[in-house]
Amino acid sequence: MAVIEVKNLKKYYKVHQKEPGLSGSIKSLFHRKYYDVKAVDNVSFEIGEGELVGFIGPNGAGKTTTLKVLSGLLYPTSGFVTALGYTPWDRKPAYQKQFSLVMGQKNQLWWDLPAIESFILNKEIYEVPDAQYKKTLDGLVELLDVKDILKVQVRKLSLGQRMKMELIASLIHSPKILFLDEPTIGLDVVMQKKMRDFIKSYNKKYNATIILTSHYMDDVKELCQRVVIIDKGKLIFDGALDEIIKKYADHKLITVVFGDEVKSQQLAKFGQIKEFEYPKAVISVKRSEAPKIAARILEDFTVEDVNIEEPQIEDIIREVFTGKDFA
Amino acid sequence: MRKYFTVFAIDWQNQFIYRLNFILWRFRNVLRVLMTYYLWISIFSSQTSVFGYTKEQMIAYLLLALFISSLVTSSPSNDNVGGEVSNGTLNNFLVKPIGYLRYWFTRDLSSKLINIIFAVGEISLLYIIFRPSLYVSPNLISLLLLVSAVIIYFLLGKLAISIVFWAPENTWGFMFTILVLMEMFTGLIFPLDLLPHWAFSTLQFTPFPYLIYFPLASIIGKPVDLRILLQSFVWMGILYYLLKKVWAKGLKTYSASGI
Repeated sequence: MAVIEVKNLKKYYKVHQKEPGLSGSIKSLFHRKYYDVKAVDNVSFEIGEGELVGFIGPNGAGKTTTLKVLSGLLYPTSGFVTALGYTPWDRKPAYQKQFSLVMGQKNQLWWDLPAIESFILNKEIYEVPDAQYKKTLDGLVELLDVKDILKVQVRKLSLGQRMKMELIASLIHSPKILFLDEPTIGLDVVMQKKMRDFIKSYNKKYNATIILTSHYMDDVKELCQRVVIIDKGKLIFDGALDEIIKKYADHKLITVVFGDEVKSQQLAKFGQIKEFEYPKAVISVKRSEAPKIAARILEDFTVEDVNIEEPQIEDIIREVFTGKDFA
Repeated sequence: MRKYFTVFAIDWQNQFIYRLNFILWRFRNVLRVLMTYYLWISIFSSQTSVFGYTKEQMIAYLLLALFISSLVTSSPSNDNVGGEVSNGTLNNFLVKPIGYLRYWFTRDLSSKLINIIFAVGEISLLYIIFRPSLYVSPNLISLLLLVSAVIIYFLLGKLAISIVFWAPENTWGFMFTILVLMEMFTGLIFPLDLLPHWAFSTLQFTPFPYLIYFPLASIIGKPVDLRILLQSFVWMGILYYLLKKVWAKGLKTYSASGI
């Protein structure tokens, strides 16, 4: 059964346009030009219980807007949305007690107090029973390894430590649905990895439904079985990660290391040269012809090494966003 | 209800972090009393009574005004709500099962409690130094007027701040104007019945004198009757209704634009 259902969701903003400079400011006092920004434009999807779905798309694609609609912060312009049977923007406490929105750049902790105080406050706000609170907190503290810093003023924590605390504060009420907006933003590689491991285990342990948005493909590659790609407010892909490759990448990359001198003109007939710096060349060829072409290269040249690969998922997605045609 | 007790407790702790800030703020209050005190002393040096106030009555009035303003006007929500709305911190609250305005009202109460404790100390000190003849006779009406004053002040402040939903950049000036008006017309600086009769009665149709003057007048035994209490409650009701409407509209705008 779908935990989250979104049908034909549209969210348009009216934004006023100001001409540059002081005269523009004065003009805008009296007469403002408005135009519509289509932040989310006719998006539909369903998410089942326990799914971990990644929303990807460039800045301003509409990912965060979608999460905000799902958490009840925004009214949609039109469309139907239900989560756990509730309409998010009714902001019913019964719904609010079952989800959590974590935004990497926003913080809810009391800056001047140790994080534990904010946890206690959230416990009361969400009306978590004492025993459950203790159990949840102990579990999270263990999982994130923050026992030593629970009583340190939040302002004295490092960014990574603070993000962990933010996560704990957001999870004190054991939400069934988690909206994670850029959970790894600004973290170093080690912390990113830890955060990912945590999200993965939280998803498994509690069968929690998780939607996360991220700029880091690694987040998505490692965590999400299912990916939703949004660009300019439109949903352009929804499915398994490897399907992106099947759908958009009809080519493969042949990497060759040559033993003898080779001119780039000699290679042009095989396919599109992506990279050429003697002795290494990367050639993009049609998927179906890849084995044949590789064989011909081996025949025609002295080759030290050859490698046939799927294109990088980052590259495919980047090319999808820049509107490059693959067909 | 319990969640708001926790808010109260955590805010109480938070206040102790800013000790120096707090002490300076209290110092400013005392300074203000001293300034007005010497102003009035110099007025009284040439006459024994001004508009029916003796020197002692005036000093008693000003000391109590300090106390009551500690109770009524210490309201950190006035400094914070506007910013939290315009920078989107409000989002943190909208996704949780907690009322944002109630949350801030609770924090205000926490701040009021700590301010009262200090004000009692300061007043005792000033009392020892100046030894005014303090005559107080508080009654139930005074108490109810005080409660009403606290609530009116909160509502009025939030109502002024609500403009942030439509003009996120312009709250500060607006707030400042309201605060200055309040200082002038609440009775904090001088007893309002010094004003010409027409001005005094006109002021009764604004919410300002219900903030300090009337509760204070009632405490020092001036004739403040049920009619005044009723008017105070009417203001409370009007402002509550207005704030509810305006805030709901503001939230709708906020949620439409999304910060």
